[in-house]
Amino acid sequence: MNSLTRNIGNWFSYAAKVWRREFYLVTHDAGALIFFVLLPLFYPVVYTVIYNPEVVRDLPVAVVDNSRTAESRELVRMLDATPAIKLGGYAADMEEARTRMAEKDVFGVVEIPEDYARKIGRGEQVVVNFYSDMSLLLRYRSFVSALTDVQLATGAQIRQELMNQTGLSLAASSGSPINNEAYFLGDTEQGFASFIIPGIVVLILQQSMLLGITLLGGTASERRRKNRGVDPMAIPGAPASATVIGKAMCYTVIYLPLAIYILHFIPEWFNLPHEGSAVDYLLFIFPMLLASSFLGLTLCRFVKEREMAFLLIVFTSVLLLFLSGLTWPRYAMSDLWHWVGDCIPVVWGVEGFIRINSNGASLAENATAFYWLWGLSAVYFVLAWIYFRSLKRKARGVGNLNQ
Amino acid sequence: MALTQFKRLLIRSVRQLCERKAYLFCMIVVPVGMAFFFLSLLGEGLPLDVPTAVVDLDNSTLSRNITRNLSTVETIDISMKLSSFDEAMQKVRGGEIFGFFYIPADLQKDALAGNTPTISYYSNMTYFVPGTLAYKGFKTMAVTASGAIVQGKLVDAGIGQSTADVLLQPVVIDINGIGNPWMNYSYYLTPSFVSGVLELMIFLVTIFSICMEMKSGTSPEWLRMSNGSIVGAVMGKLLPQTIVFWIVGLFLNVLLFKFYHFPMNGSWLWMSVAMIIYVMACQGFALLVVSVVPNMRLALSICSLTGILAFSVAAFSYPVQSMYGAVGIFSYILPVRYYFLIYIDQALNGLDVYYSRYYFVALLVFVALPFVALRNLRRHALNPVYIP
Repeated sequence: MNSLTRNIGNWFSYAAKVWRREFYLVTHDAGALIFFVLLPLFYPVVYTVIYNPEVVRDLPVAVVDNSRTAESRELVRMLDATPAIKLGGYAADMEEARTRMAEKDVFGVVEIPEDYARKIGRGEQVVVNFYSDMSLLLRYRSFVSALTDVQLATGAQIRQELMNQTGLSLAASSGSPINNEAYFLGDTEQGFASFIIPGIVVLILQQSMLLGITLLGGTASERRRKNRGVDPMAIPGAPASATVIGKAMCYTVIYLPLAIYILHFIPEWFNLPHEGSAVDYLLFIFPMLLASSFLGLTLCRFVKEREMAFLLIVFTSVLLLFLSGLTWPRYAMSDLWHWVGDCIPVVWGVEGFIRINSNGASLAENATAFYWLWGLSAVYFVLAWIYFRSLKRKARGVGNLNQ
Repeated sequence: MALTQFKRLLIRSVRQLCERKAYLFCMIVVPVGMAFFFLSLLGEGLPLDVPTAVVDLDNSTLSRNITRNLSTVETIDISMKLSSFDEAMQKVRGGEIFGFFYIPADLQKDALAGNTPTISYYSNMTYFVPGTLAYKGFKTMAVTASGAIVQGKLVDAGIGQSTADVLLQPVVIDINGIGNPWMNYSYYLTPSFVSGVLELMIFLVTIFSICMEMKSGTSPEWLRMSNGSIVGAVMGKLLPQTIVFWIVGLFLNVLLFKFYHFPMNGSWLWMSVAMIIYVMACQGFALLVVSVVPNMRLALSICSLTGILAFSVAAFSYPVQSMYGAVGIFSYILPVRYYFLIYIDQALNGLDVYYSRYYFVALLVFVALPFVALRNLRRHALNPVYIP
């Protein structure tokens, strides 16, 4: 019994020593400090600045007006009045308009048919063609919503005039019998930054951490190569489990203040959606940081050289951006990608944080993600432990040879 | 520098490339693997069938009609029928649905009595694409529902069926998306992200391979093999990589345009020329960075930073014109931006190459740019200092 308590005590003292040594290594390595501190501090700001204008407005559009009537000019005026569209001048014909589009002078062309006014006068349906540049979907989307509004508004106006002419007065004629109202949840302004930043910042948390951990791991690997399998900076005699836990605690604790900065202050400063309670998202993010630490330690197996961290980790940010469902929703993924995503802490982290932060969900409503994160922590702890145990065995092997 | 010398340099760099599995991984596995990832993930083009719900508190003929029509809308999938607003909100917060359609009690009664009741729909915009699709589906439905009632009333008032149809929608604005009428999301994301990944990997491999000479202290030997000419040394080092990246890049073009039928309305020739110059432009950019900052960690950091930011700044999904001026300028210093613009002009829009002339020139500038700073790299290569 006594020896058991002593063992447990020893284990904790080893873990604490590893923790302290790792903290020393981090603070004395400029590269690691850049990843652990500078990156999480600056990257969220950079991203927010890129997307902060939020919406796309005043897109230049050329007009080919074959009708040249008061009615057609009225339509152009209404288009110009929408926030999305700005009149970019008239073009004589479609040929000229197409050239201007190729020159990137304008991003859309309205072609008003010659019989526009005549058809309206006769009470016939008239079709106006709009050609949209498709180099960016966001632009197209802005056009669509602006044009739909104009179509409804001109429609109502013309309907009213025709009704008056024909002398029909109907209660329903002026408006519709049913009103409809659209509500936007979470990102009420429909801004691009408000949508993408809450996800990106969580991604930055995990990716900067993985970069830092693998950089340190690669450096340790170089030290071992120079010292015949023994890392002179490791704590001698520390059990593999204490090493893994001690290191992970070091990283997680460094990241806690950064998480508060990233998850609380960034949305606050930049007026992004920020609904959830701090207790909920901080409790939620803790297992993600822990799981990411263990994942990083697992990945150290593949990083034989300090700078290899860049080559092996950086591109995964792109992969994870997609797997997280931020740009492409997870329900539309095949089982394979869904499953791969399930195995990565940040995928759950992004999902849970967005719901808590932007939709005001509670931790309880995100129980699934929360349990998954703890589960992943356990799995990656075991994988990291297997790797560090093998390192220890190798080092011992070298020691035996020397004797 | 004699030809035999250059050959020896080439053999040396090929051997170095073969010695590390990481090179194989970064030069071939990552770009090709990521291409297949995007192709497989975005294969559908649009993530239709957004999980949504309907809350019907009316339960009348009209409301059941609306619900039935909702389930035929292509963009959404009514996966639940819920009985209260709170329940629906809870499902949104839990992530089970991305929006819901709310029909108030007494809808039919009020509508027919002329009390103009309100139907509302809620879309969760925290996920942009599904939120937008849900919104579009709901809006179409809401407009159609009230349109049907107006039409019925007009016909009742003695207006002919066809006139009533016109009155419902006197002006139709027909929106034609040029080059991509299907609004296929993948047509933007896949080519731009695939070329972005290629750029990133070219950056990293270029810098890593050059700086490894200095880290391992072999850079004086490297320069000696080219008679002290840094241009020769760099060419000997990078040419094998250029060839591998050319093959990978052209393969990616064939993969997208030929096997996956991405729109190719222009000429194969120009897209291939663009890819060939693009690879060299990326190498040129990285070479410039490493010549100005011959420190492995810093150079890799700068290129990772720009390489990753390129996915946002080079404006694949968010237009440069809408960014703050200073940020917008930043997007023009990256090769991938010009390659993307060439893709849009040539492949998607099928324009004459004349309209893309400046983009080709810009790419060529990237190729030429490092020559102004190579002297600095030479100085550091002669006295290699490794800063961890």
